[in-house]
Amino acid sequence: MLSEEQSQKHITTGSGDLNGILGGGIHCKEVTEIGGVPGIGKTQLGIQLAINVQIPVDYGGLGGKAIYIDTEGSFMVERVYQIAEGCISDIMEYFPCHHDKSSSGQENLQPESFLAGIYYFRICSYTEQIAVINYLEKFLGEHKDVRIVIIDSVTFHFRQDFDDLALRTRVLCGLSLKLMKLSKSYNLAVVLLNQVTTKFTEGSFQLTLALGDSWSHSCTNRLILYWKGNERCAYLDKSPSLPVASTPYAVTSKGVRDAGSSSCKRVRVM
Amino acid sequence: DMNEEQPHVEDRCVPWSDGMQLLKDAAEGKHFLPTGLEGIDTLLGGGLRKGQLTEITGQSSSGKTQVCLYSAAHVAARHMGAVLYLDTSNSFSPSRIAHILDELPISLIKEPKDMRLKRVMSSIICESVFDIFALFEVLDRLEVSLNCKVTNGSNKICLLIIDSVSSLLAPIIGGKNSQGRSMMISVAMILKKLAHKHNLSVLVTNHMVAGNGAPKPALGESWKAAPHIRLMISRDRGSNICTATTLKHTLLACGRHMKFQFLPS
Repeated sequence: MLSEEQSQKHITTGSGDLNGILGGGIHCKEVTEIGGVPGIGKTQLGIQLAINVQIPVDYGGLGGKAIYIDTEGSFMVERVYQIAEGCISDIMEYFPCHHDKSSSGQENLQPESFLAGIYYFRICSYTEQIAVINYLEKFLGEHKDVRIVIIDSVTFHFRQDFDDLALRTRVLCGLSLKLMKLSKSYNLAVVLLNQVTTKFTEGSFQLTLALGDSWSHSCTNRLILYWKGNERCAYLDKSPSLPVASTPYAVTSKGVRDAGSSSCKRVRVM
Repeated sequence: DMNEEQPHVEDRCVPWSDGMQLLKDAAEGKHFLPTGLEGIDTLLGGGLRKGQLTEITGQSSSGKTQVCLYSAAHVAARHMGAVLYLDTSNSFSPSRIAHILDELPISLIKEPKDMRLKRVMSSIICESVFDIFALFEVLDRLEVSLNCKVTNGSNKICLLIIDSVSSLLAPIIGGKNSQGRSMMISVAMILKKLAHKHNLSVLVTNHMVAGNGAPKPALGESWKAAPHIRLMISRDRGSNICTATTLKHTLLACGRHMKFQFLPS
């Protein structure tokens, strides 16, 4: 098991610093929850991961496909194209000598093929969400190259119009166990994006994850995205093997990158 | 002759010992398995008690999984027996076990690092469990294996860890249907029976839910009475220092606090 863990490839987030606190990147066979206030860039990171999982093995990636489950309609395809272009331009920069190699390899590095590598599901209710998660097992059996499942965002449809709170807890706990099992059986990363709300506890406002108390235990790792002034930061809140740590990062026109990168940054919209 | 073929009922009685033997065993620490975390072992009066069910409850990322990993590592490292680690959130981390072993006090280090790591890892049996029925099945297999195995000191399972038992029970309890609750009580009963019959320590983790005001341990009132010992842990924000409090204990007074610390990776 130890050698398996050590040889496990990680999915890069695009930011070296962010990869650093995550122990190399997003881990396969684990469920990672990413929480943050609206506007911080959870969807940006989700899209970045859906692209980065497809980086060919020759260039240090997993060469896998992505499943993107969109519950709020946040997936902007033009932005996905832009991030794919950004990813390709960075690969060309780091691997200049590969240009001479197989021309077929170079043909694959088109934004179009990255877009084609994302299986997209748009969910409009909690019943559709339950249905798609139940369907995933069959889908993954037929599409063995999927290496990441992203749910953006996982609790959205459970926050309103759910009268029976005990039922909601049971359903969410059941869903999270299913996702755990899928991530282990199919050796893929499951990334759950979640809203953060403010809660007034112990005399101060604290950021807590939506529906946190009902199900905050159901992930292997948790990353919290937050603002520090005008800079985006990420804080690793839960991990079985890594220490808590935080790091700044940036969202640029090319996608998620290290803070202080040269490409123009997307600023905080007040 | 029928009378001769019947085994004597007396022969089936469990072996007995006397009070002095029990006291001697207790003094020699034979009744406890160390978690490896000083504060917790002190609070527990020595460590995880054999024959009993210990519960660790706490909020998310308070350190419950770390306590489990430390216990598994220390018990295996000290040749006390094998560990069965049931993981429900893909959190069992071999590299973390390796780090924990690196922190072992010098007196316990008798063999080269990689040999010890190999030995420890082969003494920890880790299985993923994602639903309650799979749990019943694993526990059943465990019972069969404990019953018929020719016991050999370091291969016999002495510690059963379920991290976390509450995530397996959460999807089935709380509704109008009472079947979920009876399955939970069934789990408690099976765990305590295994603990007692085979002299295992059983360690389970339980998450916390919102109560009226303060958060409280999940699984409700029916579960409260199940474990022999219940500890609640919490982690100081942004640090590795945690506080453990006894909620329930067979011997010691409750409400005692102890601080302990996880050493960083």
